[in-house]
Amino acid sequence: MSASLQLRVTNRIEELPAVAEAVEALGAEEGWSQDTTYAVVLGLEEVATNVVRHGGGEPGGSEIEIEVTSSDDEVRVEVRDGGKAFDPFHEAPEPDLDAAVQDREIGGLGVHFVKVLMDETSYSREGGRNHVTMVKRRS
Amino acid sequence: MNVQVENHEGVLVARVEGRVDSSNSQDFERQLQGAIGDEVKAVVMDLGQLAYISSAGLRVVLLIAKTLGQRNVSISLCALSDPVQSVFEISGFNRIIQIYDTQADALAAAG
Repeated sequence: MSASLQLRVTNRIEELPAVAEAVEALGAEEGWSQDTTYAVVLGLEEVATNVVRHGGGEPGGSEIEIEVTSSDDEVRVEVRDGGKAFDPFHEAPEPDLDAAVQDREIGGLGVHFVKVLMDETSYSREGGRNHVTMVKRRS
Repeated sequence: MNVQVENHEGVLVARVEGRVDSSNSQDFERQLQGAIGDEVKAVVMDLGQLAYISSAGLRVVLLIAKTLGQRNVSISLCALSDPVQSVFEISGFNRIIQIYDTQADALAAAG
């Protein structure tokens, strides 16, 4: 059994809470665990926020396509956008997890969360668009 | 997202409810900064009713911890749900900010 959700939103932060709500509704219907839901919602927010903040272009001027597919054993999340080429999994800064409070840099945490919470992540550039895939195996 | 503030004999308890994400993290920062006055000797953030926080919200917690650290005001967190506890652990923040199981534990340590 599988179910999927397709959403198109513009590149504005204000669009993202509705995305989280739609994904949580899919998770409730499909019986995801609390951990799976948190990981999928967080992963999607972090990737989409990066696209909005660093993709370039006017806010609201381009589209982000989101597809979430839930099957019995995994949840697959795909995010495509037409912003400038950016591989979050290799180009984002690595946070220094051992630094003291005053030395700790702000930033890099979102991608770190995605890498830790998701079971698979990949990036490709296709036809002038970024394509991020994240897979969470259901627990 | 909502922040409720109480003063326990100079210790500020900030109860954070709901969701903190990239769409409301600036508001979260404003509410916390506005609540922390000069006379505060310690801050306890009670996250028992916090359903969700992403890196945007953790960034605010770190900023507040840095600001308070410069003033030698202690900050601690308490009552985290399991998923929220997980993101604090993954971020490494649990090693730089004290986390207590209950508000009573946090207040006892802060007092």
